[in-house]
Amino acid sequence: MNELDKNYVGEEKEQSFLEKIFSGFLYNIRLILKNIRNRKKSMLIITIGLVFSLSVLFTSSIWTETSQLIIADDYIETLDYEMYVSTYLTNAMDAVYAYTVDDYIVRQVDWYLPTVALFNFEDKGPYYRWYPEDNQENMSNPVSLTSAHLVSSRAIDRIKLNLEVEGNASLNSGEIMMSYVQAKQLEVVYNKTISPGDNVTVAISRRIPNTDIGEHQMRFYDINETIFANYTISGIYKYIGYNTVIAKLLGGLGNTGGMLLDSIFFPLEDLTGIDRFIIDSNGLLPRLLVKVDAQQLRSGGIGQMPDNLHALSERIQIRFFHAYCYILSQEIQTMANEYARTFSSTTLFTPAIVSTIFLTILASQMTVKKRKEEIAFLRLRGAVSGQIIAIFFGEFLLVSTFSLILSIGTGILMAALIPSFGHDGFFSKTLFTRYFEYLQISPYDIEIYSVLVLGIYLGITLLNVISFVRKDIHESLIITVRGQRLLGIGVKVGAFALTLAGFIFLVVDYSRIVRASYSFGFNTLAASTNALLAFIAVIFFISYFVSTGINHLLKTMKKVHNYIFKQNSFLIHKNIKRQTKSLKDLTFFLLLIICLLTTFVSIRSTTMQNNVLEDAYRRGSDIRIDSFIPVNITEYEEKLGAIEGVDKIVGFQSINAIVGSQHVDVYGVDPLKFLEIGRWTDNSFAGTTPETALTTLAEGDSNIVLSNYIVERLEFAVGENMSVTDFRGGPFTLQFNVSSMIKSAPGLGIAHGYDPKMSRENFEWVLLKEDVFLNQIGIHNGTLFLATAEEGADLEVIKEEIEELFPLMKVNPEKINPDYIGYFIIKYIPHISITLLIGAVILNIIGVIYVLISTDFILGQRRQEYAVILALGGNQGKIRRMLVGEIAVFLVSTLLVGIPLGILSSLVALTFLKPLLIPHEVVTMTMHIDFGLLAIMVVSLCVAAILGVIPIIRKQMKYEIVQELRAIV
Amino acid sequence: MAISQIEVSNLIKTYSSRAEELTVLRSISFKIARGEVVCFLGTSGSGKTTTLNLLAGIDKPTAGKIYYGGKDIHEWSTDQLFEYRLKEIGFIFQEFYLLEHLSALENVMVPIILDGESEEVAQDLALELLNQVGLGGRALNLPQELSSGEKQRVCVARAIVNNPSVLIADEPTGTLDSKTGGEIMSLLLRLAKKNKMAMIYTTHDPYFTKLASKIIVLQKGKIIEHSPDDFEDIGYDKSRFEFLFKGEKDE
Repeated sequence: MNELDKNYVGEEKEQSFLEKIFSGFLYNIRLILKNIRNRKKSMLIITIGLVFSLSVLFTSSIWTETSQLIIADDYIETLDYEMYVSTYLTNAMDAVYAYTVDDYIVRQVDWYLPTVALFNFEDKGPYYRWYPEDNQENMSNPVSLTSAHLVSSRAIDRIKLNLEVEGNASLNSGEIMMSYVQAKQLEVVYNKTISPGDNVTVAISRRIPNTDIGEHQMRFYDINETIFANYTISGIYKYIGYNTVIAKLLGGLGNTGGMLLDSIFFPLEDLTGIDRFIIDSNGLLPRLLVKVDAQQLRSGGIGQMPDNLHALSERIQIRFFHAYCYILSQEIQTMANEYARTFSSTTLFTPAIVSTIFLTILASQMTVKKRKEEIAFLRLRGAVSGQIIAIFFGEFLLVSTFSLILSIGTGILMAALIPSFGHDGFFSKTLFTRYFEYLQISPYDIEIYSVLVLGIYLGITLLNVISFVRKDIHESLIITVRGQRLLGIGVKVGAFALTLAGFIFLVVDYSRIVRASYSFGFNTLAASTNALLAFIAVIFFISYFVSTGINHLLKTMKKVHNYIFKQNSFLIHKNIKRQTKSLKDLTFFLLLIICLLTTFVSIRSTTMQNNVLEDAYRRGSDIRIDSFIPVNITEYEEKLGAIEGVDKIVGFQSINAIVGSQHVDVYGVDPLKFLEIGRWTDNSFAGTTPETALTTLAEGDSNIVLSNYIVERLEFAVGENMSVTDFRGGPFTLQFNVSSMIKSAPGLGIAHGYDPKMSRENFEWVLLKEDVFLNQIGIHNGTLFLATAEEGADLEVIKEEIEELFPLMKVNPEKINPDYIGYFIIKYIPHISITLLIGAVILNIIGVIYVLISTDFILGQRRQEYAVILALGGNQGKIRRMLVGEIAVFLVSTLLVGIPLGILSSLVALTFLKPLLIPHEVVTMTMHIDFGLLAIMVVSLCVAAILGVIPIIRKQMKYEIVQELRAIV
Repeated sequence: MAISQIEVSNLIKTYSSRAEELTVLRSISFKIARGEVVCFLGTSGSGKTTTLNLLAGIDKPTAGKIYYGGKDIHEWSTDQLFEYRLKEIGFIFQEFYLLEHLSALENVMVPIILDGESEEVAQDLALELLNQVGLGGRALNLPQELSSGEKQRVCVARAIVNNPSVLIADEPTGTLDSKTGGEIMSLLLRLAKKNKMAMIYTTHDPYFTKLASKIIVLQKGKIIEHSPDDFEDIGYDKSRFEFLFKGEKDE
């Protein structure tokens, strides 16, 4: 009795009905277990395929689900507050506080009271004339006046996120914190250095004198009851915040800090209730600083955060009509957008996932084919189709249950490992443990992916089993006339072509949406993601067509095979020519993998190259200097230009104004210097070159450069007149002539669109001549300088020198806006380049696994053939070389076609993938191929495939010729 | 006395499996001279095919020696054994074992190609041999397009294409009708004689023992020697094989 007999033939005994059912069940289970045990290798391949496919899907799901929570929490934690509330009915503030603090979404509410503080006032009488401050009564021993921010001690723990503090960032009773500028002023007043730990006497004003009605004397400050002697300076701070609530409340132009620049923080608790009442009564409106609970804010997902915040604002305003709520909606929305973009970029894994599922399908097909004798034997023994299918179904249930459990485990582990390593390449235990702390498993995703993968696997397996079960009947049925067969082929080709055309149409249509813009939002993101999915389908179709072409071509390449393989070419060519299905599948799959791999590598290198170019463009020139305080541009151009190594320098005056109904940033610059110093690209202006545009701007004071978006929105044309109004601190309106349309500028970023990387205050900026600022607007200050370095100058030395000479200036900051939300996201969802790299590695692994499975299968099919060759005097070494040669032919031919096809597909993909890769097309994204990485990927695929094939061949060839020959019978 | 080309001494072959050990050959010894025609006769399981496989070097003995030209072939290296199978042995299988994706011509070409000859040389030689076995007109047909007799003729051509010293045929008529079987045997003998090869074959059919100069009868893995005359009385209808003897007379 052979092994199959032992498996399937049972003994017949007299049994009751129930016993029969039970014993039948047990028998089937035993049979299934025995089948699995006897086919360890096949089952292992299937299990690996299933676990791999499911793990990739589960990892992606768990990773993104978990990431969004951590990202949201992290980001919210970095924000000082999310909202401030004020009201003109100051006596209602306590009620507003009481309501707000009890709201379920609110974690903390802190009081904020603005006033001014005085130093060096002790020896001055009530009639001391203080105004104007730089010309007060005793300028040899003046009073120092500064903004005072009265906040609770615990509020400083949140506010300090905006500050760079020397000393301690604490505000206990008896302590004050002082700005760097104020400390420098006191050093002049007291004629000594001011450091953290020093004691000072400070007076907190209970009212602000109204100089318009002549309140020029000390007594109008009402400080008699609020003098605090021997207060310790706990810390000296510089403002470093960006888009935060404090910045909105107290900030000035850009990121200069406004009222924080020259100020102190004072503990509110040190004031009596009466003091606070008086301050309120004098019209210094208190505010409530609101910190929300991260978990509550992100309930419903990151996308819900802006809505949840708006809802809080509405709840307050509906109850207190007089309340005004400012919410940090733009920043929270940016975070939601950026997260959506990063999350969507994980769709770039789709080709890898689809390939993995495909791998499982092919492996399952091979396994069933290997078992066709077994199916035949079962039929011979009288098994009906249902029984045979039941056996395979039982095996499927066991294998898939095991794979599912293993995949969930692997998914959880991988989801934690990717960000743990992905951030900087080194394992971070903190990130790893945080992932487990926040772990989110979506039962919906698990269910969908399991049904998808296991359903495909089961469907394909059963279809194959059924086709073998019904083979003879099927074969008798397929005797059709030639006309019918041709009709069948025609229908298939037609359906194929129509589907392909449909997918191509989708790709073209979505690409059109994306190409129309350079600043990408939700619409373009969705179009990009859809285009990607349609494009993957197109790649599958094209790979199938092209692989068929390759197979036909290989059949005709006898001379080439003769030339390469010499003596071995006869059998190699014959094997290639016979084109078994497994060889056809191998060509198709390898082509697909290589094409996708090339696409991934090309898109990755293009993105990275674009990032480098974009960073350089955003920086603007060799040297970018950002000042924390507005400085006189002309004066500092001279000072900075005198530093050794600095060649040419240009500064930008800046102010806020209104164009139409929109607030814009207005920059003033010397156009010709900017042309010379800035790293311009041909794409910077719309419809003209930087040379023409900037020369034209320089020609007339009435010229203005607008973003092409403003021009199109307001239906302007170049040469047309327009007005800019409400220059903050300047004239009400000025007339200009539109001289050119700009998309972006070096150092300034995109002209239209929220550009969080640049931390620009407004949605748009416009460019004027420097002379207009100096002569018509009357603004001399700005915060930005661009400069070129002298040839051979060391940029690091220049940076150190400038930062030492001007402590409130930053040179070539690594990140222009370090608070850019993207930097938080990439901590947990690695940068797109890493996603693409991981995708490429997965594709590589799939490629190698497939080559190995195929080789094993092909060898299994050919074992007896090789036994005959060996019996005829063939040499094992020769057979090995033949096999390796055969695999190499397919590898090389698919490489030769797949790489150009991949490059071509990258070119197409880049037209619609931009929204997934970058938030804005600041510089024109042009194709860049990292041939080094591509070579590494391709060579590792080939080497791993060939090296993996050799042991399989060796193992497969370790058989007894006689036994194999007997098996043929 | 003829010089022995093959000398088998105390050959034992045992197949082991998890369940049992099966001894197929129990210390058999015999000699085969150059040009001799030897027939192994015996019932199924007597050890005929195992003996041929061992002689051809495609199976390994459990014990005992097989000397070819005075050297024990199972002490040879793998490469020497390949060389032995390729150049000294021509094997004809009962089940043909033709490579299904190759034409009749290409199947015959395989041993020549394995021997390192060019494709052109192999093609000429193979075609010549196919003509000799009467299959010149079917050279480009695939095995599945040939009848069993034609397949066996291809196998004969494939076996002798490298001009081996020993032709081994394992029940070459086993799957053929008696007429075709007779034709094949006649062809084999003619070619063996023409090329001065020793010929070793097995058969169930005592009638074909007539063609052998030596008959070795195997029974349960042991040799019982007989002469061809011992099979005179078995009762085969000689007339059915008249053509065979005619051929012999012609020779």
